[in-house]
Amino acid sequence: MKKEHDFLKTIAPEPGNLIKGLQLLQATEGYISDDGIRDAAEYFGRPVADVEGVVSFYAQFKRVKPGKYQIAVCDGTACHLKGAPLVHEWLYQDLKLKPGETSADGMFSLETVACLGCCSLAPVMSVNGRVHAKLERKSMMKILKEYAEK
Amino acid sequence: MNIEFFLDGKAVTAEPGQTIMDVAKANGITIPGLCGEKRISKTTSCFVCVVRDKKTGKFLPSCSARPTPGQDIEVTHPEVLEMRRTALNLLLSEHNGDCEAPCTIACPAHAAVEEYVRAAANGDFTEALRIIKERIPMPMTIGRVCPRFCEKQCRRNIGGEPVAINEFKRLAADKCFDTFMEELPALSGKQVAVIGGGPAGLAAAYYLRRLGIAATVFEMMPKAGGMTRYGIPEYRLPKTILDREISHFSKMGIQFEFGKKLGDDLQLSDLQKKFDAVITAVGCWQASGMRCEGEELAVSGIDFLREVIENDCVAANPGKVLVVGGGNTAMDCLRTSVRLGSPEVICIYRRSEAEMPAEKIEIHEAKEEGVKFQFLTAPVKLEKRNGKLVLTCQKMVLGEPDASGRRKPVPEAGSDFEIEADTVIAAIGQKTAAPAGLPVDRYGCLDTQDDHVTVGEKLYAAGDCVSGAATVVEAVASGRRAALAAARDLLGAPMPKEETIFVSRGNWQDLTRDELVVLRDDLSEAPREKLNYIPLAERKTSFKEVCATMTPEQIAAEGKRCIECSCSDKHDCKLRKFAEEAGCSTDAYAGVRQPAVYDVRHPEIIQDRGKCIKCGVCVKICKEVVNKSLLSLQKRGFKSCVSTAFGAALPDSCRECGECINACPTGALDWRKKR
Amino acid sequence: MSKIVSFKIGLASCGIAAGGEAVLAELKKATTLPIVEVGCIGHCYAEPLIEACLDDGSSVMYGNVQPTAKAIENILSLGETGRFAVPAARKSKELVKVLALAGRISPVDFDDYTANGGYEGLKKALTMKPEEVIEEVKISGLRGRGGGGFPTGMKWGFLAAKPGFDKTVICNADEGDPGAFMDRSLMESVPHQVLEGMLIAAYATGASRLIIYCRAEYPMAIKHLKIAIEQIYAHKINVFSDREIEIFIKEGAGAFVCGEETALIASLEGQRGMPRFRPPFPTDSGYQGKPTMINNVETFGNIPLILRESGSEFAKIGSEGGRGTKLFALAGDLQYPGLVEVPMGTTLREIVFEIGGADPEHVKAVQTGGPSGGCIPVEMFDTPVDYDSLRSLGAIMGSGGLIVIGKDRCMVETARYFLDFTHRESCGKCTFCRVGTTRMFEILERIVAGKGTEADLDTLEDLGKKIKAGSLCGLGQTAPNPVLATLRYYRHEYLEHVNENKCRAMQCNALVDVQLDKSKCVKCKICIKTCPVAAISDDFVIDPAACTRCNSCLDSCPKKAIHRVAKGETL
Repeated sequence: MKKEHDFLKTIAPEPGNLIKGLQLLQATEGYISDDGIRDAAEYFGRPVADVEGVVSFYAQFKRVKPGKYQIAVCDGTACHLKGAPLVHEWLYQDLKLKPGETSADGMFSLETVACLGCCSLAPVMSVNGRVHAKLERKSMMKILKEYAEK
Repeated sequence: MNIEFFLDGKAVTAEPGQTIMDVAKANGITIPGLCGEKRISKTTSCFVCVVRDKKTGKFLPSCSARPTPGQDIEVTHPEVLEMRRTALNLLLSEHNGDCEAPCTIACPAHAAVEEYVRAAANGDFTEALRIIKERIPMPMTIGRVCPRFCEKQCRRNIGGEPVAINEFKRLAADKCFDTFMEELPALSGKQVAVIGGGPAGLAAAYYLRRLGIAATVFEMMPKAGGMTRYGIPEYRLPKTILDREISHFSKMGIQFEFGKKLGDDLQLSDLQKKFDAVITAVGCWQASGMRCEGEELAVSGIDFLREVIENDCVAANPGKVLVVGGGNTAMDCLRTSVRLGSPEVICIYRRSEAEMPAEKIEIHEAKEEGVKFQFLTAPVKLEKRNGKLVLTCQKMVLGEPDASGRRKPVPEAGSDFEIEADTVIAAIGQKTAAPAGLPVDRYGCLDTQDDHVTVGEKLYAAGDCVSGAATVVEAVASGRRAALAAARDLLGAPMPKEETIFVSRGNWQDLTRDELVVLRDDLSEAPREKLNYIPLAERKTSFKEVCATMTPEQIAAEGKRCIECSCSDKHDCKLRKFAEEAGCSTDAYAGVRQPAVYDVRHPEIIQDRGKCIKCGVCVKICKEVVNKSLLSLQKRGFKSCVSTAFGAALPDSCRECGECINACPTGALDWRKKR
Repeated sequence: MSKIVSFKIGLASCGIAAGGEAVLAELKKATTLPIVEVGCIGHCYAEPLIEACLDDGSSVMYGNVQPTAKAIENILSLGETGRFAVPAARKSKELVKVLALAGRISPVDFDDYTANGGYEGLKKALTMKPEEVIEEVKISGLRGRGGGGFPTGMKWGFLAAKPGFDKTVICNADEGDPGAFMDRSLMESVPHQVLEGMLIAAYATGASRLIIYCRAEYPMAIKHLKIAIEQIYAHKINVFSDREIEIFIKEGAGAFVCGEETALIASLEGQRGMPRFRPPFPTDSGYQGKPTMINNVETFGNIPLILRESGSEFAKIGSEGGRGTKLFALAGDLQYPGLVEVPMGTTLREIVFEIGGADPEHVKAVQTGGPSGGCIPVEMFDTPVDYDSLRSLGAIMGSGGLIVIGKDRCMVETARYFLDFTHRESCGKCTFCRVGTTRMFEILERIVAGKGTEADLDTLEDLGKKIKAGSLCGLGQTAPNPVLATLRYYRHEYLEHVNENKCRAMQCNALVDVQLDKSKCVKCKICIKTCPVAAISDDFVIDPAACTRCNSCLDSCPKKAIHRVAKGETL
């Protein structure tokens, strides 16, 4: 196990704790690397192929390094009805990003999420976990500009 | 404690731990299932094994569900079968593989092309011939004259030329035909009369004999062979070759009676009394006219060819020749005229070269031999002036596509012109001269049932007289089907299993090289082997066969060009087997298929994701039985797949035990070496 | 005149998303009075919300508070502007029981909870025999709030029947239905109430392990639950006379299918969340092979009430088709989106029009049960909302998401959206679900693109029924519902798409053009500047080939002169 993954030792090394370990890996490193999978497999006593199977099953786990600002566009029912497809269209116009992609400068990455639970404020997106509500094209461009300048 | 319940209304008993499928099996009912494997924990994935609880109306996977006391389980209810069929149809709709190689699917006789190509390339010509003769009893002939439906679908057409498939047939037959003898079963005592000794009749007699039925062939001409003898010129099919080939049928015990024409020398009713069944294969011997004024002044193409052949290629110089028509018969007439010394030979065809039905190679060879072509030209009038024939023609332009999809030629007003000639040959087409008393369809061909061979009670038809003028390979395929139908009716023998499910990755026109699965390491990128022609001067002056049979060395090299497209698991695939049994269709649901991703990094094993049904049996076998866990299910939903860690090649720790391969219901995991 | 003694500010996810944190910062600058950060009172449309509590015990609420000194000044002076009052219609229809403390107390203040009747239910339960507790739950008529509607008392009875204490009770907090947020709100606002319900369940069923399986997308819920669990351990509330109850949270990792019992358990065990064939049922072999029972958040949220007021009292509310109250997450095309609590059996008309303030002229249908449910047309809004009535209409109660669909929404597109979700969330195990939902989705994609045929509709119906019958778990068994329901009630919209290439809602981009009404245009050129793909020429002609139908120009036009029209049509 690589030394930089020692933080896994805060979790009991039981096979059933794998997902918890993966969540910690992602929270720490921003994504799940091949080394992360190998070390998690070793630490939690699971075959490597198995661990990769678990990682690829869950939408939460990212296998590529995300951008500095991770945009998650909610495509829950309310947001969808209220214009989530348009939000995607706008993001594509402005950032040339499609879901699952990271911008060339590493600033933004984009994903679609099922529901952020803010249906009454649709359409919403979150940037690094911070929810931005009742999006319109103008407000969205302003938000992106603010992040880009940070 | 044993459990009493009902299967399709019949009281049965389950022992503790038995699933519904187990109990059904013990009671003689086989329920199909793709993902049941006793040694691992339940996968319950394919849902092909569903049964229905009559009381609740719920469908249950019988591989996993255990019966409850008194439960009434429906196993063969039509709605249960429909659910199974749908599950299989859904799996077929995402399946990305080739149940058969496209060449075999394209072959009218469904000859096992990949297999005979491999055998011949390996130098085992006897085995190659054996495989060929399962479907093609006249390989010497077909090896020379076939228009090669197979090669047109060969995937080597992608950015190159097809494998020279027909040459494999020709070499294997030339080498081994005289010494090869089929194992023949004892005669059953049943007798069948075959009317017509052309390829369809010969094939019918051949397969009847192989099924234990004696056949007598009644032929109106003095020799057997039909159009292969009297319609195909010597330079394409030497008569010595044909004689060798036909002598084999006598050797097998098939009886021939020559000079017997149905209606004149034979009566159908007499044959039906004397024989247990009758197969008519009388061919298409009536030429169509030019449908213009003075057409009677033209000689018909098939008559022209027959007369030359009957005179052993000795005939008067026909002078300047015009041949009207663009099919293979027209090419034969043109090239025969050249060989008879004609100073000028012109082909008159009303569309352009692209629409010509003749084989490209025939057109090419005719051009080589000096034939001229007058395209977009149609005859209007034929008359005799001063001892010469004068054909008035008009120019045509191509209009909208017609029913055949070809652009319809339309006359150009005022474009009439005249051509003078000594001989005008009409090679427009042929019709069936249906024997009296047999039903005909609107094209004048014999009318058959949906199987294309059954005419009436123990009365069958095959070949050109059913299909209209077609190819030799289509005729032998038809003759075989007639023989099988007769054998079924006479012996009560079930028809041999014919595959009905042909999943295909697609036609080569729609594919790229990257999408093809290549199992072999030694695929050759060399160009197609060239045919060995005799000198052009010799071609133009004699009836010698125009090109020689390829050498074994050429065939060995050519064999390495075969991609071997068919699925490695085609004979064991459970998906195909159950889908055929359930009457499935590969196009029940349109939609995206699985990606054509395959892995041959391992020297022995192929992983072909396109064929995976995601049941995960291999994953569990490797984990629970082999105790290795080298495979896992990855992703989810439609995109889920089986993979090694990080998509790497199977590691050294794989000891090639083959458990996953044996457990895989399809060819998604298989040995690379085709058996 | 009354004086302000403290403030409450709504800082659940919805409050924060609406900008509550900035308002809080502004408020802190302006006052030294105590500020309690509370959860959600359900009026999400009015967030950020501030409640000024007065010395006479009453309070004044302010909605849509802006983070400005001026707005805060107005509140400090108890100004008249911006005051928030619960709409009268809603007040008369709502019956707030489960949510009684939500938004009223601090979610992370143990004493605040106990001071308001918290843990009374548990205390009472501990004075009873476990089987008496179960009996009380059975009498209450409570049915699982997670969707299936299985009688909760019976479920508890199954687990209680298993010997020993090595048993697990799981709270399914993996609220996966897009469009539902009842559970999130409960956990964020009153985490102790959920945990109290779980502890009662542990006592009644003999379980020693409580696990909350919560969506990772709900960080605040997880945070509040963790704090609450620490408080429970600190106050030793988890220690019964004969055993100590272990409580922990496991975060889900984003898989809708984990709402399914056996998949959820697989996920808890660190596996791919794939359901398995039952039997064995979790009560026989569940988490780590031990007897296990799963209820959802709202179900547990009801338990303390039942114990406090008795099962028979609880059962007085509601109808034959369901007892007690039900939480609904109202969203979509209506005036007052948010969380509501009504007695079971309240009609859709009351919920959508009276409580939600939707415009009856504008509403087409309501979708219940999220991607597993179906739509109910406005003509049927007199249906009482309970488990059985909804099922008879081809919809389901689901966990309680209610999405109001306006007349300008295309039902085919709505169905396509749900199938897009479910086919991607299918775990991939069962053929019918994995391939079948994909095929249905592809057909719907064809139809909204104007490439469908009438035969496609029959295929959708046939395949839909078979997928329901041939899938192992609830995901596949319900995934076709949105399609089957829309085909049942809105077949004419499908037929218009396939036969006339027409989308009456003007929503399906492939069947729509964007056109400018020159009679209204004032040539301000805002649209030209706004268009991200330069599809509008200098003389205000929109190039249909370049236009992506992104609606930017429609929204930006000050004269509302740009419209979506049927493809090929001109204004």
